[in-house]
Amino acid sequence: MNYKFQWSVLWSGQSGSWLLQGVLMTLEISALAWILAVTLGILSGALRTVPFRPLRAAATFYVEFFRNVPLLVWMFFWYFGVPPLLPAGAQEWLFTHGAEFWAGMFALGVYHGARFSEVMRSGIQAIPRTQFEAAQAMGFTTWQVYRLIILPVALRLIVPPATNESLNLLKNSSVALTISVAELTFQTRQIETYTARAIEALTAGTLIYLALCLSIATIMSRVERRFAIPGLIVRVGGG
Amino acid sequence: MTRFVALLLTLALGLGTAAPALAQSPTLDKINQSGTLVIGTRTGSPPFGFVNKDNQWVGFSIDLVEQAILPALSKKLGKEIKLEKKESTPPTRIPLLTSNAVDLIAETMTDTRPRRDSVDFSLTFFVTGAQFLVKKGSPIKGIQSIAGKRIAAQQGSTNARIIRERVPNAQLREFPDQPAAFQALVQGQTDAYTNDGIQLAGLKAKAPKPGDWTIVGDFYSYEPYGMAMRKNDSDFRSVVNNGLMEAIESGKYFELYDKWFGPKGEVPYPLTAENKRFLQLQVVPK
Repeated sequence: MNYKFQWSVLWSGQSGSWLLQGVLMTLEISALAWILAVTLGILSGALRTVPFRPLRAAATFYVEFFRNVPLLVWMFFWYFGVPPLLPAGAQEWLFTHGAEFWAGMFALGVYHGARFSEVMRSGIQAIPRTQFEAAQAMGFTTWQVYRLIILPVALRLIVPPATNESLNLLKNSSVALTISVAELTFQTRQIETYTARAIEALTAGTLIYLALCLSIATIMSRVERRFAIPGLIVRVGGG
Repeated sequence: MTRFVALLLTLALGLGTAAPALAQSPTLDKINQSGTLVIGTRTGSPPFGFVNKDNQWVGFSIDLVEQAILPALSKKLGKEIKLEKKESTPPTRIPLLTSNAVDLIAETMTDTRPRRDSVDFSLTFFVTGAQFLVKKGSPIKGIQSIAGKRIAAQQGSTNARIIRERVPNAQLREFPDQPAAFQALVQGQTDAYTNDGIQLAGLKAKAPKPGDWTIVGDFYSYEPYGMAMRKNDSDFRSVVNNGLMEAIESGKYFELYDKWFGPKGEVPYPLTAENKRFLQLQVVPK
């Protein structure tokens, strides 16, 4: 390929500060969306296993509805579809206070919440049924069984798939650029606009995503080792 | 993300093989072998490149390629060359070219000096400048009155860049494509949408209620549209330029202009005497 690389575009001019702003925006929107996703995921994942059909049905509806529609559509839904439902004053307030960011955050959080929910459910269902029964026999209410026994154990079981989901969430935050959220991918395109050096800008973006994801994966594998339950997770090669 | 991956793969393959190109013009070679000229054009920028009511992908830029450049190419290569269209957008058009996915960008791309570091441009085939599209009765009258306002722009366009530099306190919202930016204006997420005047005229003509919208402000930028090609392929570039020059000389260009921008065209936008002269002056003698 006949292409002359010119890597200096990445640190000359404003490129460096744009990349930094992009990373911060990506981390900010991903962190908030992650908190929302995990909360929704734990809640609906647990509800999908409770012995009460209407709650199970509601949780199933949430999961199937949100995970089976593409994220891009959800971005447009939260940005273009939701504001008209609000009163005029609230709309105007939202438009001057970062409507793009909040729409993107909700789209990402609610979509990944549905996916976290399945991770959570698989964790709960991996716990032997006898534990529910033993706890109930000892006089715990369903709420107590979940809060004190099932959820703490399930959360420790699902660290590996949850890491996977978290990395997906971080990378999917790039879709928010379609509704004008100036995150990392947006900023790499910005550099491309100013310098017309697309490959350099995309490479910088790629390496930053890689670095972010690898750091998260490393932290999560520490967490996994620290909280693994002896006997429930067998680690090959010791650890 | 797929675009990312495709790019990286191309990059990796390119570095890995690095086969020396022996021919004078790699692009003409490629077109000769495949019998097809692949162009990148727009799907939502009437009247340059868009999908019309009958679901056909048409436009002024596409017509120029079909009626001015394809004949020149066929003549040069001595055989019939077919046209293949792919979608390109401001953020993708340069990567599409450098990765060999398309041979020519024929849409609404402004020729700029930084872009000339990455791609080569044909003659200027259209001249316009940036303005604002606003709701009728809006307080925005041009670039002088956008401070603090929410302004939609197209990501990767020269207009967004100029606004960022000239009015740093305008709240810029950048969208990857025109329909999303216009939707944000319709719903009030933004107060104005800025783009090249001709694009706004096209958008207004296509809007459900064209009367609700008005284009305001003097041109705050100079936007000469050119067709972009891979760098350092002057044989191919000559064929493209000769095609365009011949079309201007023979009057074909003005026929096409009238078809799209004339009183009965998709977007009425009369050709000024000044611009007509400018186009004709670009034609060098035979």
